[in-house]
Amino acid sequence: MASPTPRTAGAPLQPSPGSTLAGGSSLTAPAGLLPAPGPEPRGARTAHFRKVLDVAAAQSLLTPVVFIFVALFLVPIGASIFLSFTDFNGYTTHFSFVGLANYRALLSSDQILSGLYFSILYAVATTVLVTLIAVPLAVVLNRRFFGRNFVRAALFFPAVPSLLVLGLVWAYIFAPISSGVVNSVLHDLFGLGPVLWLSEDRLAQLSVIIVGVWAQAGWHATLYLAYLQSIPGDYYDAAMIDGASNYQCFFRITFPLLAPAMTVSVVLLMTGGLRVYELPLAITSGNGSPGGPGYSTYTVTQNILQFGVSQGQYGQGSAMSVLFLLLVVAALLVVLSLLRRREARLR
Amino acid sequence: MNKKQRRLLGSAVTSVVMIVIACGAALPFYYIIVNTFKTQEQTALSPLGLPSSLNFSNYENVFRTVPVFHSLENTTYVTVLSVLIMLLVGSLAAYTFTVWPTRFNRRLNVVVMLALAVPFQSTLVPLYEMMVKARLVDSLTGLVIPYSGGAIFCCFLIQGYMSKLPFELVESARVDGCGPFQTYWRVVVPLSRPILVTVGVFQTMWVWNDFLIANTFLSSPQKDTLVLQVYNSIGQYSTDWPSFMTLTVLSLVPITVFFVVMQRHIVSGLLAGAVKG
Repeated sequence: MASPTPRTAGAPLQPSPGSTLAGGSSLTAPAGLLPAPGPEPRGARTAHFRKVLDVAAAQSLLTPVVFIFVALFLVPIGASIFLSFTDFNGYTTHFSFVGLANYRALLSSDQILSGLYFSILYAVATTVLVTLIAVPLAVVLNRRFFGRNFVRAALFFPAVPSLLVLGLVWAYIFAPISSGVVNSVLHDLFGLGPVLWLSEDRLAQLSVIIVGVWAQAGWHATLYLAYLQSIPGDYYDAAMIDGASNYQCFFRITFPLLAPAMTVSVVLLMTGGLRVYELPLAITSGNGSPGGPGYSTYTVTQNILQFGVSQGQYGQGSAMSVLFLLLVVAALLVVLSLLRRREARLR
Repeated sequence: MNKKQRRLLGSAVTSVVMIVIACGAALPFYYIIVNTFKTQEQTALSPLGLPSSLNFSNYENVFRTVPVFHSLENTTYVTVLSVLIMLLVGSLAAYTFTVWPTRFNRRLNVVVMLALAVPFQSTLVPLYEMMVKARLVDSLTGLVIPYSGGAIFCCFLIQGYMSKLPFELVESARVDGCGPFQTYWRVVVPLSRPILVTVGVFQTMWVWNDFLIANTFLSSPQKDTLVLQVYNSIGQYSTDWPSFMTLTVLSLVPITVFFVVMQRHIVSGLLAGAVKG
């Protein structure tokens, strides 16, 4: 639909007063820089022709991005919406419309509801915990102390490797047998028996969230740090002269000025959290069930893949995809508008 | 204690506390690295202890049984190709949107950017079906197609940078007789190099580390990327922890080297990416 064929797109360019020739140029140049139309009509016509060609060529540079948008976003989303109302299964070309049956089936399935529950729990918990850790961390990392560069790099590093690999590493750390680090430390220090971190519902969820926080806190601290570094030191000097305490400086200067950073960080954490996929998959993969004990760490994204790809139930998988898209967009809009309003209030 | 001494003490305390925290955060990496030099019994006895001697048999074992270099090659191929396509498509679009902001282009720009809010997983099911029909699944080159969706994010970041470039340079290239593509290639691309590197580094980390797309669209073992290789070896090494950790450590080497070399760009990429929204 939105494919700009060069000629049609070239036509409605900003008509500029004077000659139709200058109208061919849509460059945002100051008017004085535009070459004046040639004195003889013939030269002018070739110049005009060249400009039309230029605009056509420039518009054609947009073709790849439009193609990607249509092929990878527009068509798949349209198809998802369409298929979600059908019983298409991929094997036969026959399918019929089933209305909202797919959606109803989703909302009455325990597996799907627990996937939805854990994805939301993970997103909210990691958002809150990472923010609570990253803001003070950034304030400390902004001070001068010995070993600061090492500390910054070490805390950032967990954001570098693949989450899947990190999850597999943590699966070993939480393992119930003696080589599991957490249990061996608990045993050596406190004489506690092995805790079955990944086999009990609540503990498995907690474990995944802990790893999620560990993997992201340093990254978000780095983000806050960059905003902190842009706060002029004068503000603090002035506050000190007025007799403000460190505590007051933090809550009256640092915290309000970090509002834009918080908007960015929280939006990324929320939308990223809802999309979580490989982390729980990897952490609980050791005990045989990819959804963790009793689907407790099953996610929406895992549901989509299981129905839509592995089992070929395109109808249900698509309905799941549509619900997921709505969930992410709604979360994005709500979080963004709340935080934007907060920014405006603190300004 | 005077003021200066107190400040020094404070900074020393900060140092110690922060270094301890940093070491704690790095403990998982220490844990997998030390265990690559141990036998299974040693790992079971003292998971966190240092190995009594440097024992490379796990490395020999992994190199013998897992085609590590082959999957490294696969990952490199997919990553380089995807990132080049994303950068080319994204920067071309950013260039046109910046230099020709007609009403049509401005609207198109807004529509295209809506894709940034779409989580990839919600397009996955129909995309998978389309790819199966086009016989592009289980192909390393076909895998580049879903990754190329990242071009829109590239376009967004590059546009922010291009809009601050001096327009006179583009105009003078035009006066000198350069067509739009020539202007892009000879003037705009060289001027945009910093953002292209930053965005390229950012997207390289995404494609290199991606599991979801690779695992969905690839099925034959000889096409495994590094991350898939690790994932698919879980069963093979279910009891042999030290070998599995060795494979994990090996899979982390390239991205760690990349991090060390590109650290500055990774952080600036983070910041460029964070301006989104």
